[in-house]
Amino acid sequence: MSDESPAEITPADYKLLVQSVVDYAIFMLDPQGHIASWNAGAERIKGYRAEEIIGRHFSVFYSPEDVAAGKPARELEVAAAEGRLEDEGWRVRADGTRFWANVIITALRDETGRLRGFGKVTRDMTERRTAERALKESEERFRLIVQNVVDYAIFMLDPQGHIASWNAGAERIKGYRAEEIIGRHFSVFYSPEDVAAGKPARELEVAAAEGRLEDEGWRVRADGTRFWANVIITALRDETGRLRGFGKVTRDMTERRTAERALDERSRLLTHLVHAQEMERRRIAWDVHDDTIQSMVAVGMRLQLLADRLEGQDATAARHLNETVSAAIRRLRDLTFRLRPPGLDRGGLVEGLTSYLDQVVTGAGLTYELWHELDREPPSETAITIFRICQEALTNVRKHAQAKAVRVSLSSSGHGVLVRVADDGVGVGDPVDILAMSDHFGLIEMRERAEMAGGWWSIRGRPAEGTTVEFWVPALASGGEGDRG
Amino acid sequence: MSARHDQGAVPGRVSPRHDQDAVGERLTVLIGDDEPMIRDVLSEVLQAEPDLSVVAVAGDAEEAIVLAVRHAPRVAILDVRMPGGGGAHAARVIRDRCPGTRVMAFSAYGDAGAVEEMRRAGVTEYLLKGLPNTDIVAAVRRVAASC
Repeated sequence: MSDESPAEITPADYKLLVQSVVDYAIFMLDPQGHIASWNAGAERIKGYRAEEIIGRHFSVFYSPEDVAAGKPARELEVAAAEGRLEDEGWRVRADGTRFWANVIITALRDETGRLRGFGKVTRDMTERRTAERALKESEERFRLIVQNVVDYAIFMLDPQGHIASWNAGAERIKGYRAEEIIGRHFSVFYSPEDVAAGKPARELEVAAAEGRLEDEGWRVRADGTRFWANVIITALRDETGRLRGFGKVTRDMTERRTAERALDERSRLLTHLVHAQEMERRRIAWDVHDDTIQSMVAVGMRLQLLADRLEGQDATAARHLNETVSAAIRRLRDLTFRLRPPGLDRGGLVEGLTSYLDQVVTGAGLTYELWHELDREPPSETAITIFRICQEALTNVRKHAQAKAVRVSLSSSGHGVLVRVADDGVGVGDPVDILAMSDHFGLIEMRERAEMAGGWWSIRGRPAEGTTVEFWVPALASGGEGDRG
Repeated sequence: MSARHDQGAVPGRVSPRHDQDAVGERLTVLIGDDEPMIRDVLSEVLQAEPDLSVVAVAGDAEEAIVLAVRHAPRVAILDVRMPGGGGAHAARVIRDRCPGTRVMAFSAYGDAGAVEEMRRAGVTEYLLKGLPNTDIVAAVRRVAASC
């Protein structure tokens, strides 16, 4: 019988149905509010078993404050008077915990109109309430964020381009208050030339067609001044695909643009300065070589001739004088070497480094290894940068590292040259500390040279593990003076 | 390398044998340097040696070539950086036109590139300016003796 559909629904069936429902507390009150029936949902939601609760007054479900305020009695009065009452609020479970309840109380009257009692249906809405509140709070938070962001102008346009919302960033960047600007067309932000050229309308067309548009350019503030803006316009469509309007996010890039241009200008000037400095160094090196050293060589040779003709103390004095001249010649040679190794101009980077290592590093009693794997000779500006950083690093090795050997490696890497100068000496301390000191060991100069060339530079090394200077500079054959044509 | 070994058949050339005879048994030397002080003192240093004779002194590469062809010295001492094409150019031409002449570089530059450039031009010995006079004289004799 039980697995067949009942031919006729009996009052027993209704009772079974009500008793089995677990999602709703469904029960009856007598006209005074005493509980007269109970179901599975009521037990689950409120936590009382039927035998515990039947006969008790329904005010046990209310908080003490609600009871003190006479709320249970009032609800029955209203239900009796109006036939039905709906309420939402906190109710109390058997264990004292609370839940957010949706409550419907229905007055039950017989055919003569006499009040037989009340039907009460209660639903536990705690979870839904929590979720709704969370959603509302998140929407509110989001609105607050948008409203209060000051670094970006974030606002909405209607499909025709009229401003529909405004935020603090928009007010700050563009200089309009919300009440001044809402409803006006967004073309007021564009210069007269842009408006005449139809740019605002075109930007909306593109955003509508492609979903999104990004642009950078001058825009106009309320006071008529201009700012360099980064603008992103996003088409906003509802779930049916209908265009609801546009989201517009604008950022004031004026400062950054100015800073970047200043940086470009600084970098251009520095490059120019380095070039001029190199030219000057080369000129001085040549002058010293071709004039000063030659004269001193001639003087030395003549002193030797003189010493050969003299005798005794005079001869000795002439020889001493010659030795002094020879020593001065050696020092001048080292100087011209540091100023501008001739190999660099004649044979390129590897030859320049080799001659420098031969002369200066070997001269200091160090052994060296030069390893190179270059696709091609870097442009002369790049070669100079690499050479000068190596020179500085090798000077440190010679003077401070107490090293026995140094290894220099050059390799082509990502449109540039990666260089490592590694020694086996005492090692630097924390590079951050060292860099913090004013141009200690020329570290800042090395880093600036690398960064000015568009590359990077780093130093590492723990005590007793030696020091490694590593840097990379781009080697693009472009733009350098003298490289063209 | 050019292979013109028919010296003597070319008009205007002086026989090397004849020139050496004129100064007895002494080794003839040409000096090419654009620095007058160097030219003078080097000449004096070499002349002070009984077995050496400076037969020509040139102030640039072109003059060095002309004088080498005229005098066919046993040794030509050439500066590396000098007008008229530089020491390497002069060395190459002199080696070509005067096969009996040995070329020696005398330079203020000691870098590998400069040395290699002169070696390729046919230079037998590379001497750095600033060495003792005795070393220079010894080098000249060594170069003259080389084949």
